[in-house]
Amino acid sequence: MKCFRILVLTAACAAGWAALQVIDKPVDAAQQSGSAGGETSAPAEASAASDPGATEYAKHCAICHGAERQGDLPGFPPLIGIGHQMSAQQIAGIIHSGKGRMPAFPSLQGTELAALLHYLATSEAGARPTERSQSPGPVEAGDALFHQNCAFCHGRDAMGGETGPDLTQSKIVLSDKTGEKIAAVVREGRPDNKMPAFSFSSQEMASLVAFIHARVKAAAEHPGGRRGVSVADLQTGSVDAGKAYFNGAGGCSKCHSASGDLAGIARRFEGLQLEQEMLYPRSARSTVTVTVASGEKISGTLAYRDEFTIGLRDGQGVYRSWPASRVRFTVDSPVDAHVEQFGKYTDEDIHNLMAYLQTLR
Amino acid sequence: MIFHFPIKLCKRAELVTAAALLALVFCAQRTFAQDLEDPQLLHPPADSWPLYHGDYSGRRHSPLTQITPQNVGSLSLAWAFQTNQGAEIKSSPLLVDGILYFTVPDNVWAVDARSGHMIWHYNRPSTQGDHIGHRGVAMYRGWLYFTTPDCHLISLDAKDGKVRWDKLIADVNKGYWTTMAPLVVHGHVIVGVSGDFDNLPGYLRSFDPETGETQWQWNATPPAGTPNATTGGMTWMTGTYDPELDLVYWGTGNPTPVLNGATRPGVDLYTCSIVAIHPEDGKLAWGFSVSPHDTHDWDAVETPVLVDGEFDGQPRKLLMQASRNGYFFVLDRTNGKDLLTVPYGPVNWTLGVDGEGHPIPNPAKEPAPDGRLIAPDEGGLTNYRAPSFDPKTGLFIVDAHPSWSIYFAKPADGTYGWAGADYGLWGKGVIEAIDYKTGKLRWTHEVGPGGSGAGVMTTDSGLTITGDAHGNVLALDTATGKTLWHAGMGVAMQSSPITYELDGRQYIVTSGGGVLFVWALPEGRL
Repeated sequence: MKCFRILVLTAACAAGWAALQVIDKPVDAAQQSGSAGGETSAPAEASAASDPGATEYAKHCAICHGAERQGDLPGFPPLIGIGHQMSAQQIAGIIHSGKGRMPAFPSLQGTELAALLHYLATSEAGARPTERSQSPGPVEAGDALFHQNCAFCHGRDAMGGETGPDLTQSKIVLSDKTGEKIAAVVREGRPDNKMPAFSFSSQEMASLVAFIHARVKAAAEHPGGRRGVSVADLQTGSVDAGKAYFNGAGGCSKCHSASGDLAGIARRFEGLQLEQEMLYPRSARSTVTVTVASGEKISGTLAYRDEFTIGLRDGQGVYRSWPASRVRFTVDSPVDAHVEQFGKYTDEDIHNLMAYLQTLR
Repeated sequence: MIFHFPIKLCKRAELVTAAALLALVFCAQRTFAQDLEDPQLLHPPADSWPLYHGDYSGRRHSPLTQITPQNVGSLSLAWAFQTNQGAEIKSSPLLVDGILYFTVPDNVWAVDARSGHMIWHYNRPSTQGDHIGHRGVAMYRGWLYFTTPDCHLISLDAKDGKVRWDKLIADVNKGYWTTMAPLVVHGHVIVGVSGDFDNLPGYLRSFDPETGETQWQWNATPPAGTPNATTGGMTWMTGTYDPELDLVYWGTGNPTPVLNGATRPGVDLYTCSIVAIHPEDGKLAWGFSVSPHDTHDWDAVETPVLVDGEFDGQPRKLLMQASRNGYFFVLDRTNGKDLLTVPYGPVNWTLGVDGEGHPIPNPAKEPAPDGRLIAPDEGGLTNYRAPSFDPKTGLFIVDAHPSWSIYFAKPADGTYGWAGADYGLWGKGVIEAIDYKTGKLRWTHEVGPGGSGAGVMTTDSGLTITGDAHGNVLALDTATGKTLWHAGMGVAMQSSPITYELDGRQYIVTSGGGVLFVWALPEGRL
C-alpha cells in the first residue's frame, strides 16, 4: 500500500514537474522540437517524391543505415554500392531474415521490395551529388569507395579494423605493382578468411587500388604505426657459429638435416618469416595413436585435444573423436623440442642460426 | 492530465513549496528500488555483485557455498543471453536488485538475473576510438556510469537506460580511448584512460556522481614534450579500495614511446606502477614501480588484490599483483614497501631483483634491430583477466600465459608511439595457484595452446571457476586444481566469472563470444 501511494504521488509530481517546465519556457520548447523535426525529415521526403524505392528505404532502413545510405560505422554498415557486394537475391534474403542485430522485414514483398532493391542497386548516383560534381581524383574516389565497402573490416585508414588485417603491411599489397594482385583478391574474395567478393568496374577498381597504395605510402610516414623487420636487419650472425650450434649445442641436427628437410629452406622463407619458422614452426603437425576399449589402435594427425576430447584425422582424411576418459592415447609432438629450446638460446645463437639457415638455398 | 490543473492554479509561493515537496518525494522514492548506497558497496550482500570485482578488495572471492565440489557435477544452464553482436563480451556484469548490467563497446544491457529477459538495451554507435573491448559499468544510487570508445563518461538511469548526463573524459582526437569500468568510492566516480599509439600522459579523473563535474585529476606522467621524461601510464583497468586506510589502489600502463626507451631515461615514474591515491583529492600516497624503464608494453594494470593476512608471522595489510611482466608481487599496502617479488613463469628480461623488490631490467634485452628473444610475450604472463584470492587455502589463482616472443626496434622506427615491432612465437594457458607467502606454485592446470582469455573466481565452498582455450567453462577444486565440471560454450571466455544468489539459488555467470551463460544447480536439487 505504501509503495503504491508513493508511486501515485511520484506520477502526480512528475506530471506536475513537466507542466511547470512547459510554463517556464513554452516558446523555446516549441521552437526546438519544430526545427529538429523539419531537419531530419526533409531529405527523405524530397527523394521519396522521385523514387518509390527511396520511400521504402526511408521508411525501413534509413534509421540505421543513414538517410544517405552512408551508414554509421562500426555498428551500421554503409549501403552505398552494396550492389557491388551482393546480388539482389542476397540482399532480399538479408531483408527477409535479418542479420546480426539487424531485424528481419519478412512482410516487405512485391513492388515495394522490388523498388527498394532497385534503389539499393543504383550506385552512388544521387547519394552524394555535391561530391560527384567535383570529379575527384582516383585516390579521393577510391577513399569513398573504400570507406563504403572495405572500412568496416579493414579500418578507415586501411591499417586494420576489428576483423580485417592491416592492408598497409599486407604481402599482397606490398608486392602489387600494377593493381592486378589487389584486384584479384577483391574480385574473388578470400572465402577462407571470410572476405566476400566484390564486383567493381575497371575504373572503380583502379581508384580503390590507388587509394590502398596511397595508404601504404602514408603509413610509412605515419609515426607510431607498428613497423616491419627487413631482411637486412637479420644479418648480424656468423654462418660458422650457426652451423656449429645447429650440429652441436643447439641439438637441431637431432631432428633436422641441412641436406634433407631443410634443403632449400632459405628459398622457401626469408627474413622475419624464416626466423619465426626457425624458432617455432606453427604449421608443424603432431600425431596421435588412440587405443579404444576393444584394443583397436587408430593413428592419425592430431586434430583436436582438450581435457575431455581427443580428435584425429586418419589416413583417409576422416575426422574421428573420442571422450578422452574412455580411451588411451599417446601424442607425439616433435615441435615441443622448439619450446624446450626457448629457455636455452642466447640472442647470439639465434642470429648465428639465422645466418646459417640463410645459406641453405 | 488532471494533475496539471491544481498546479496551474498555484501562486508563486505555493509553486516553490510544491517543487520542494516534489524534490523530497523524488529523493524518498529513490531509496526503494535499484539504489546502491555506500553501505552496500562496502559490504555487498550475497544477492549482489555491485562492483567490477564484486567488492572493493579485488579478491573476486564469493562467500556463497550452495554450489560445492560435491554437487558441482550437476551444474546446468539456467539461461543464456544472446547479444547478437560481433564484439565479444569482455566485461564483468554488475548485479543490483536482481538486474545484471553488462557491456560491449558502445552497448549496455540490463537483463533480469532470474530469467535472462532483456529489460533495456542502450546503444550509442561511435566511429572514433579503439573498440578493442569493454569491461563494464559502475553503479551508484540509481545511476550507471559507462565509458565509450570516444572517451565520454555517460550516466544512465538504471531503470530504463536513459541518458542523464554525458561528460568528456579525454580527447579522442589526440589518441585516447576508454574501455574500463569506473570505480565508485563514496561520492567519487573514478575513471581511467587508454592510449598506446601516441605519446600521451595517462591519468585518473574523478567525477561527481550526481553532476558529472570533474573533482580532481591525477596524472601518471608529465605532459608530452617534457624533456627526458616519459609519457604513458594509462589507467585502463579498474582499481581497488581500502576503506580503513581510505586509499584507492590502481595499476598504471606502459611508458611511451613503447619499445624505444632512449628518450625517457630512468625508471619512468609512474608508468608500469602500482599507486595508492587519496580518493578525496587525488593526491598520491605512494607508488611502486613494477617494471622500471619498461620497453615491452607490460602494463601493470592487473588487479591490485587487497588481502589482510599473515606474512612472515605478522598480520599485515597486503596488496598482491600477478603482473603482466611475469613477476608476482606482495606489498605492504599501508606504505608500498615490497615483501615478495618472484617470477611465476618463464621470465628472461631481468638481471634479478633489487633490494627494494623492483625487477632490474637487463639492457641487453631491450628491443634491438636484429631482434631479442623475450619471455613473456607482449600480452604478458597475464593480462586484464582477473585473478582470485582464496582465503582458506591462501592461494592466489591466476590465468597465466607462459610465452616467448621476439622484439625489434631500430632508429628508423622513431620515438613516437609504438616505435618498434614485436612478434609472438608461442604461448599456452596455465591456471596457477600461487602460495602468497612464498610465491611457490602449489598446483598448475593447463588450459590449452595459445592461452585462455578467462579470468578466475573462487568461492568459499572450495571451487575455482575459470575457462580453457577451447571454449570450456571449468569448475576446479581450489585445493588441488582438479577439474570437477565443465561445459562447452563454443568459444573461449574473454571475461571474468561472477556469482550471486537470488531466491535461495546460486548462479554463476560466464560468457563465450557475445553470449552470456548463467549456470545453477537444477531447481529440483536445491
